[in-house]
Amino acid sequence: MRLRTWANVCRFHLLQRLNYYVLPLAVLAFGFVVDVVILELTPAGHTPDRAVGGLGSIYVLVFVLGVQSVARSLPFAMASGVSRRSYYLGTTLLAGAFATAYGLLIVAGQALERATGGWGMKMAFFRVPYILEGPWYLTWLTSAVTLALLFVFGTWFGLVYRRWRIVGTVTFTAALVAGGAAAAVATTWAQAWGSLGHFFTTLSALGLTGLLAAVAAVLVAGGLATVRRITV
Amino acid sequence: MSATISVSGLSRCYRSHLALDGVTLEVEGPVVVGLLGRNGAGKSTLMRILAAQERPSSGHVSVLGGPVWENDEALRRLVLVREDQEYPDVKVRDAVRAASWFHPNWSAGLAEAMIEDFELPPGRAIKKLSRGMRSALGIVVGIASRAEVTLLDEPYAGLDPLARRTFYERLLADYAEHPRTVLLSTHLIDEAAGLMERVVLIDHGRVVLDAPADDVRGGATAVTGSASSVDRFVADRPVWERRLLGAQQSVVMPGLLDEVDWARAQQMHLDLKPLSLQEMVVYAAGGAWRSVRAKEEACV
Amino acid sequence: MLDDGAPIFSQVADRLADEIADGALREGDRAPSSNELASFYRINPATAAKGINVLMVEGLLEKRRGVGMFVAQGARAQLLARRRRSFVEHYVEPMVGEAARLGIGPEPLLEMVRSTLALPGRVQV
Repeated sequence: MRLRTWANVCRFHLLQRLNYYVLPLAVLAFGFVVDVVILELTPAGHTPDRAVGGLGSIYVLVFVLGVQSVARSLPFAMASGVSRRSYYLGTTLLAGAFATAYGLLIVAGQALERATGGWGMKMAFFRVPYILEGPWYLTWLTSAVTLALLFVFGTWFGLVYRRWRIVGTVTFTAALVAGGAAAAVATTWAQAWGSLGHFFTTLSALGLTGLLAAVAAVLVAGGLATVRRITV
Repeated sequence: MSATISVSGLSRCYRSHLALDGVTLEVEGPVVVGLLGRNGAGKSTLMRILAAQERPSSGHVSVLGGPVWENDEALRRLVLVREDQEYPDVKVRDAVRAASWFHPNWSAGLAEAMIEDFELPPGRAIKKLSRGMRSALGIVVGIASRAEVTLLDEPYAGLDPLARRTFYERLLADYAEHPRTVLLSTHLIDEAAGLMERVVLIDHGRVVLDAPADDVRGGATAVTGSASSVDRFVADRPVWERRLLGAQQSVVMPGLLDEVDWARAQQMHLDLKPLSLQEMVVYAAGGAWRSVRAKEEACV
Repeated sequence: MLDDGAPIFSQVADRLADEIADGALREGDRAPSSNELASFYRINPATAAKGINVLMVEGLLEKRRGVGMFVAQGARAQLLARRRRSFVEHYVEPMVGEAARLGIGPEPLLEMVRSTLALPGRVQV
């Protein structure tokens, strides 16, 4: 029964076809075109493939989608008898589905890119070095987890905004920044930058994915805690 | 048998404003209850709490046999229609489709018929709808959901009288076929008077009247005629209001007048007119307001 | 339609009783259902059902299981007898009282009644 509600929430989000079907492709295409233009206008180096950052566009978009997912859909769902928890978990399910689908798209894009020799211009749009290297299933996993993480992060932001408005959102951001700063300071004091760097360089793509998944879980918990008392 | 809606000692405080003050109410369905009161009386707050959209500051709420807060089982059998409902950026037909997923008793046929009644354009974006159309959409969702507990919070904003009549007729017709517990909050009391079996009047966050509609209606009578005749007729009985114009006088007498009174009035050429539900509510609210205003409405 | 005097359910009952007394609803005819009455008067079906119940308790309507409410045998006669009894109380006595107030004597009063009865177009029972 619970799962049915989550699935319904998913379906409900997906009624916004523009957001979930059109925009991601449009944004990817835009990033792609921009990168092509850049490569055309700059001299080629001697590296086998030229890495570009256009793929990041979909990661930015997915964060925005996350924010938006609790903007105006939440009140209608609540009026229709969906509990806050169910709405949130259904939205998380959507994040997972979205991430899985578009992660697969990225994998397919990689395959196509390889086959066409970097789109005939040795461009590495989909084949992001280090993070998205390796077997296709690993690429799928990593990109999916990253997309899901950003979506859920955006959702949390959206909830913070709904509940505590602009002041709350600024405070939340400040808290995150402060947390990051505190961690940096602590690392410096412990002179742990070296071992931290070592840790990351020896971390496999799979290990990184695991780390990201852990972060995503923390974000989900944060979102759940914030949604609990939200009023519409 | 447990009540469909049970509320006791319910209070809700916002900063320094006491929106609900110890409300106690029990509703056993199926029934249509009119929730009446002035703007800001606390009707919307009460409905939002019943729909788990808000938490009470204190007191006890039970809907469909248990607490409603974050209770998926109970929430599924409930619907709240409010004037300021936010909708996602979708078309009318999308919202209706979504509603059909969330409400187990949904009637697609009824929804379709009502969309036609109100001339709602299914393909139009909700954000482009006029106020009346938005209300119509809310009403379609509220009634077609056939939710066991249907909470309608002044759902008719912006609707013209013809559309309002459609609303009442559709609600009554479907209620007859599929009885449910309906709480209807409204200002347009006389229009909806026929629907209500029971009226609950809320003033300054408190329940000041809770009675069967039939008991309230006609519970006072306006007596009009020559000033001296009216005085003789009234004698020393209580009077709510007295108006004079030259030699004419009109008073409002509470309580039921029996056949003897009616016969006397006829002989004295006095005009007797029983008060409508709306007029009764105005007096009830007015009286309560006078005694409550003296007290400071502050949160404890 | 319905006014604010008596409770709605009793007005509904009175209207139905009127129809029976007038002969519009004959004995053995099916009476309107509570849903039909609710729809017609635009009132709550529970209220309409209450009105029907009043007549059922008085023996003017009877329930046939699975079929509906029907006008009972002897309903019209029962109603007319009851109304005749209250006729004196509601019509004759006030008339006599008013006539006395206006100074109309018994003979002139009876003459008025006779000439009114003789007017063309009067309903003959």
